[in-house]
Amino acid sequence: MKILPRFIVVLALSLSAATAFGQGLADKVQEYTLKNGMKLLMVPRHTSPTVAAWIRFKVGSVDERSDERGLAHLLEHMLFKGTKTLGTRDFAAEKPLLDQIEATAQQLMAEQLKRDQADGKEVARLTKELDRLEKDAEKYVVKEEFADLYSRNGGSGYNAFTSKDGTTYIINLPSNKMELWAAIESDRMQNAVLREFYTEMKVVKEERRRSYDAEPEGKLWETFIAGAFNAHPNGQPTIGWMSDIENLTRTKAERFLHKYYAPNNAIMAIVGDIDPQRTIALVENYFGAIPAGTPVPPIAVEEPPQAGEKRTEVVGDAEPELMIGFHKPTLPAPDDYVFDVIDMLLTSGRTSRLYKKLVQEKQLATSVSSFSAPGSRYPNLFIINASPRAPHTVSEVESAIYEELERLKKEPMTAKELQQILNQLEFEESRQMSSNGGLARNLTEYEAVAGSWRYLIEHRQKVALITAADVMRVAKQYFTRENRNVGFITKK
Amino acid sequence: MKSMKRLFLIAWSLALIAGCATTQGATTKESASAPKSSDPRTLAFPPLEFQIPKSERVQLKNGMVVYLLQDHELPIVNLTAYLNAGSIYDPPGKVGLASLTGAALRTGGTQATAPDQMDRELEFMASSLESSINTDHANVSLSTLTKNLDRTLALFAELMTKPAFDPARVELVRLHAIEGIRRQNDDPKGIASRELNRAIYPGHPMGRTPTLASVRSITRDDLIAFQQRYFYPANTTLAVSGDFDRDKLLKTLESLFGGWPNRTPSFPAVPDPKDDGSAAVLHVQKEVNQSVIRMGHLGIDKNNPDLYAIKVMDFILGGGFTSRLTQEIRSNQGLAYNVDSYFETGRRFKGPFIAETETKSETTVKATTLLRSIIAGMTLAEVSQEELKLAKDSIINSFIFGFARSDAVVNQQARLEFYGYPAGYLENFRDNIARVTRGDVLRVARKYLHPDAMKLVVVGDAKKFDQPLSTFGSVREITLDNVK
Repeated sequence: MKILPRFIVVLALSLSAATAFGQGLADKVQEYTLKNGMKLLMVPRHTSPTVAAWIRFKVGSVDERSDERGLAHLLEHMLFKGTKTLGTRDFAAEKPLLDQIEATAQQLMAEQLKRDQADGKEVARLTKELDRLEKDAEKYVVKEEFADLYSRNGGSGYNAFTSKDGTTYIINLPSNKMELWAAIESDRMQNAVLREFYTEMKVVKEERRRSYDAEPEGKLWETFIAGAFNAHPNGQPTIGWMSDIENLTRTKAERFLHKYYAPNNAIMAIVGDIDPQRTIALVENYFGAIPAGTPVPPIAVEEPPQAGEKRTEVVGDAEPELMIGFHKPTLPAPDDYVFDVIDMLLTSGRTSRLYKKLVQEKQLATSVSSFSAPGSRYPNLFIINASPRAPHTVSEVESAIYEELERLKKEPMTAKELQQILNQLEFEESRQMSSNGGLARNLTEYEAVAGSWRYLIEHRQKVALITAADVMRVAKQYFTRENRNVGFITKK
Repeated sequence: MKSMKRLFLIAWSLALIAGCATTQGATTKESASAPKSSDPRTLAFPPLEFQIPKSERVQLKNGMVVYLLQDHELPIVNLTAYLNAGSIYDPPGKVGLASLTGAALRTGGTQATAPDQMDRELEFMASSLESSINTDHANVSLSTLTKNLDRTLALFAELMTKPAFDPARVELVRLHAIEGIRRQNDDPKGIASRELNRAIYPGHPMGRTPTLASVRSITRDDLIAFQQRYFYPANTTLAVSGDFDRDKLLKTLESLFGGWPNRTPSFPAVPDPKDDGSAAVLHVQKEVNQSVIRMGHLGIDKNNPDLYAIKVMDFILGGGFTSRLTQEIRSNQGLAYNVDSYFETGRRFKGPFIAETETKSETTVKATTLLRSIIAGMTLAEVSQEELKLAKDSIINSFIFGFARSDAVVNQQARLEFYGYPAGYLENFRDNIARVTRGDVLRVARKYLHPDAMKLVVVGDAKKFDQPLSTFGSVREITLDNVK
């Protein structure tokens, strides 16, 4: 057994498991930073001959300008379309067509932006021209070549996702295929071509409709978050409002790509049946000479403190739903750990306070959950979400929640309650190690957002130091009317 | 840089020795003067030998079957029990009985441990113990840290053998089921799936869903009787993986379940679903800006020898980024974000073939027409050699992902026996896929795909459709029971 780490265990609670886990993960994760700033995290795991490879760029929708919302997400879609060599039969012939498409699309958008004053004939002409050019360019496209290459080589779970904080590209491969990943991803990082831009824009519009427009609960989420932030881009929908999406251009996307998608802004996690020395050699060979890129500045905007409660109603063809959000600091601020404790006290399991009171005793709601959102790089919200049980109303559920929050301000949490939380964190630490992808996700996320993946090791130790007084103080400070955002669905 | 454990290094070296010479592109360090570029299309890779991991099968004295796979990487034990019970056995008029029984089983506590006490104990240990009864199987599963295995296993055994169905907890489960039914029309996708299922399985248990009336008619005695009828050793298969000691575990299971009496099997006769082969066009009016389109018909079950050709066909037609449906409807025309199709391999009965997409109101008929014509295209001509190779390579080379976790391995093996798959199913799977020819794909497309006999369900705003739905045939309007 290795020597204990430097942070001292002060409490008599069962922390030996915490340090054991910490040592386990600390032993397993190997770090390597390339000269161009790209960070590589590796965990060898030989349970099966598979590897999860995640690449996270430290750019998300929170980095968008307010007139380019949805750009990070659309760009993520575009990065599946190939490069100068993959996905095309002849880039030299294709490129002029792509440029013409871009020029025509921009003219069309400019005309359409005149709205009532737009020249109908010109719009029709440009639309027809764009259509013709897209069909011509299509002749050069080799469809879905990335997906094809990964798939035929046994790749699984090929995908990507964009959040407020980051954009992540993922694939699972048989462990003998890692060079394929290095070849494709290094090409993608340097030579991406954003072909089929204006068709993919349509796909994203359908995605928007599917997730947010056609489903009242999605609409509530989007509207609630947007309403909670007056200034900070944490309020901007990652997918973009419909008019945002419609006015994105390939030029804007390329500018965003070159500004943010560089090695100094990338974190890789490779977890599974690997030899770290060979992996480092592979990554150096393929990614080592890619120029670093410029450092990305942090966001300057600060959300002003709320002066009073905000309420958001969505009238929809659905049963009532309730969300309550309180502004709070994000990790690694000390109060964020207290919020982790509050989160679990309130909604973790059938013995949690809100479940017991709202679901079992008063039977006002069928479910209740809590979490921090949206995003973790900047101050965010602590959110409580509940589904009222008919005939009980949003208002009744809301009052009952506030009663429980008042309890948090006055009644000290018990030692047993804290121990239960630590026990659950202990279980979760092991559980999250049981899949390559799960581990890769946590490593990239916390390395990006917390500055170090070691956040995973230190988390439970920090939580163990939280006192009943801390919980009461934080509850009093943040669970106020002024700091409150309330969103709900009213049935049409 | 941290030092690696010696064990890992040795294991890796042994595994790779055979292959490293054949890797194109050096694995030795090159000077990083220019970025390495190898053409991914022509890279060669070392071979990967894969043996299907095996779990051990043991039968307890009382007939319970136990599959075991030890894995000491993490201090966790996972266990799932499978029982032959399901909503297919709901008596008419009491649709929802199986589902309520499954929900009430866990929350209702046991004769030895009251519900609150059970919740407190489990959650303090951070053990999870959950139950559910689905269409054709019941699940009771647990997940625990090794140190809490004994107590968690004891509670699991109590739940299986002497559940209490605490009356207050049972009533709460009923109230939640009622609320669930009230909310079942909130998401247009939920409506479409339900109505399609009802259309494919008319009058059959597979097509039924609970109603307020049926849920209200179910009594606590019904739940108790249902559980007693289907929960007994000979009807139970366990799958256990993780950080346990084999002999100790088996001894514990024998001890915990030794006194659990067996019962005479008593399963209601469920007829095979019938396909009337007719087309149908069903519409649900909802004011949304995007239509949900679902179409399908009866398909196949796992015993069908054409299963492998159908899996290959599924991949080509509607399985993922490279499929015909995704390439045309999403990528080329931008009509949808989600589009796919698949044969759901039925386990006890024939499963459905389903094709689905969502598109803005103004392209509803266009997308539906395109969906149908691409499906029909599979019946008109052989797929290309490239399509066939991509499908087969993809399925065969990703086979290993079914075994990436020890809990997945043991559960899969338990389910193969539980559902009566033939011996060697897994072992022969890749070869069976490799044998499929272009001729096979066309043959099964013609035999099993019926583009002219689809049940079509569209949930959307008819006022905004590009053309009337009657383009596809006479339309039946479905009025949702708007529950109050």
